[in-house]
Amino acid sequence: MQAVSPAPKSEANILTFPRLGMLSSERALIGAHILVALLAISIGLLLGPAQAYRRAPALQWEIPVFSYYYQALTLHGVLNALVFTTFFIVGFSYFVVQRSLQRALASVTVGWIAWVLMFIGVVLAGFAMLTGQANVLYTFYAPMLAHWTFYLGLALVIVGSWVAGGNIFVTYMMWRRANPGKAVPLAVFATVANFIMWISASLGVAIEVLTMLLPLSLGIVQTTDPQVSRILFWFFGHPLVYFWLLPAYTSWYTMMPIQFKVPVFSDTLARVAFIMIMIISIPIGVHHLFVDPGVSEVAKVMHSLLTFVVSVPSFLTAFNIAATLERAGRARGGTGLLGWMLKLEWGNPVMVSQVLGMMMFIIGGVTGLMNASFTLNIALHNTTWVPGHFHTTLAGGVFMTYMGILYWMLPIMRGRKLFSRPLATAQAYTWFIGMLLFGISMGRAGLEGAARRTDVGSAQVISEYWAPWLNVTAIAGTILLISVVLLFIVVIGTWFFSKGDPEDPAPITTVAPSGAPLWTERWSLWIALIVISNVVMWGPVLLEGLNFVNGFWSVGYPMN
Amino acid sequence: MHIDRLERNYLIAVALVLGVFFAALIAGALVFGVRLPTATAFVNPLALADTQFANPGLRDLGDGKYEAVIVAGMWRFQVGTNEFSETGHEIMRVPVNSQVTFNITSRDITHGFMIEFHNANMEIVPGQVARQTVTFRRPGEYHVQCHEYCGRDHANMFFTIIVEDAAA
Repeated sequence: MQAVSPAPKSEANILTFPRLGMLSSERALIGAHILVALLAISIGLLLGPAQAYRRAPALQWEIPVFSYYYQALTLHGVLNALVFTTFFIVGFSYFVVQRSLQRALASVTVGWIAWVLMFIGVVLAGFAMLTGQANVLYTFYAPMLAHWTFYLGLALVIVGSWVAGGNIFVTYMMWRRANPGKAVPLAVFATVANFIMWISASLGVAIEVLTMLLPLSLGIVQTTDPQVSRILFWFFGHPLVYFWLLPAYTSWYTMMPIQFKVPVFSDTLARVAFIMIMIISIPIGVHHLFVDPGVSEVAKVMHSLLTFVVSVPSFLTAFNIAATLERAGRARGGTGLLGWMLKLEWGNPVMVSQVLGMMMFIIGGVTGLMNASFTLNIALHNTTWVPGHFHTTLAGGVFMTYMGILYWMLPIMRGRKLFSRPLATAQAYTWFIGMLLFGISMGRAGLEGAARRTDVGSAQVISEYWAPWLNVTAIAGTILLISVVLLFIVVIGTWFFSKGDPEDPAPITTVAPSGAPLWTERWSLWIALIVISNVVMWGPVLLEGLNFVNGFWSVGYPMN
Repeated sequence: MHIDRLERNYLIAVALVLGVFFAALIAGALVFGVRLPTATAFVNPLALADTQFANPGLRDLGDGKYEAVIVAGMWRFQVGTNEFSETGHEIMRVPVNSQVTFNITSRDITHGFMIEFHNANMEIVPGQVARQTVTFRRPGEYHVQCHEYCGRDHANMFFTIIVEDAAA
């Protein structure tokens, strides 16, 4: 296998895309995405510790500004999990595709149209949430009803992301036509796979919102069906988390090896992992409906089985990345079974944030397999175990990797030095400690029977079994709050005040290793497999959920 | 396609471990009877008066078997009992070792049902009948919490099951 080059080799490339800066058109479009992502998460992050304080039986503090717990919880979920992620991913994906393929987006104008659609969506949904007319949480289960602007806003975010995905597909196809017989760089391969998965999956939630919830909130229809809406939502809900995860995998597979100056252990199996996730991440969503009354036990067992299968590409990734990191450690003189780990760059925020994120993601993966175990799920479903789990994946593996990316990308975007490497490194360590403690204490409280999404601050009965563990989450929240303050200092400092030039080049390669298999780019075959697997796995579930004799029975209940 | 020897062995080990885990789950369901709710029946949430849910309550089926009919609504469980706790929430009493089949539906929005320290966990979705069978082996007081967010007083939507010792 050919070694991955640390930076574009030819002079022409460097002239086209500066290693330590951005073209102005690129800066404006990508920067607009990153800016919205950061603004959204700055509110979302601060609400996290406030919720932990509200839920700790020893404190039960009111949440500042948003005194209604479930309003704050809705904002925390929507801003962090839907707005931050989508904007960050689209911006990051544009950057990866343009740099790797050394060509501008197919259409910068269409890129801006997509951004405007998504931004209007955020404003509409934000209006509904901030005015307390959408206290429905980020899963917005029917027949709870929010203001119509909430649904229209979310639909616009999704439609905008489709336009962005289309732009990326066309850019890839133009490159494909110009480069017959050449394999595409892995990072672009992963990006294309991610958007194929995302567009396929978000059809479910788009149908739910546009045909059920939006008409209901506008009074065009009077009835709906909660079970059918849950089925459509969870068609989308699980690949949603993979949509967040694949950019992190992209960084681990294609950027960390460049930053550590070693080749990735296996480029081919990385492609296989991305293909498996793209296809298998959708026909497994019933594992969110294990205790639903309207889904048959057979479907639950089948989806549980496929969830076990979709863990295989992540096991592959664990091996592949660990082997790559071991190469890096040994190349730096590390010896012994685990001694190489000491030689990784433990003072470099870009690396620390990502490697610690990976470690936390291992916990998230293992607890995820426990959730996916259909009978074990009875003990876990809707307890605080579940947010404990997904904070180690989303707020652990994914978020920490995104921050690792931000710590090299933001300086390039702004043409400035990272504001403070020590503070950025401290941010990563405090986040890791705080989120680990949060995950463990939430998990333990859940095993003792604490329900998730429950305003403990207003509860009349507090269990002595889980109370101590929810108190621990307040300590975790405090550590995380410190980390958030450090993050704000680093980001604001880098954006406005930092002096000096950026230090880290964009860790992007423009060539695939020779021998990278072309058969992995048979996208029409993969799309056909996505269609077939979902007809087989979701078709019966949907037919069973629909009440063909009586139609929809439920009326909406506004959650003001 | 080239796969490194170590990586191949690792993949085989992963497959074996996952296979053993899944076999254990199947055994748990078939041998030890840990079952999930399954699609049973549709019910009109706006016309519960015409169904078995018109009269919530606990019925003795003999042989230590019981059937509990419960209606969930914002923000209480109607369990058909006349006994209430200090906080005004329903109390249901069952003898130890009784096997209770819960039939639950919702009259308004989606609720949840979870008995602490028991294999009882269901989503209560309007339009659907949720059914699960639970055996109460240990005497004691158990908190039954709505675990699906259902609005302002969701945290206080609960009732209590008291499992009574036969000797008492």
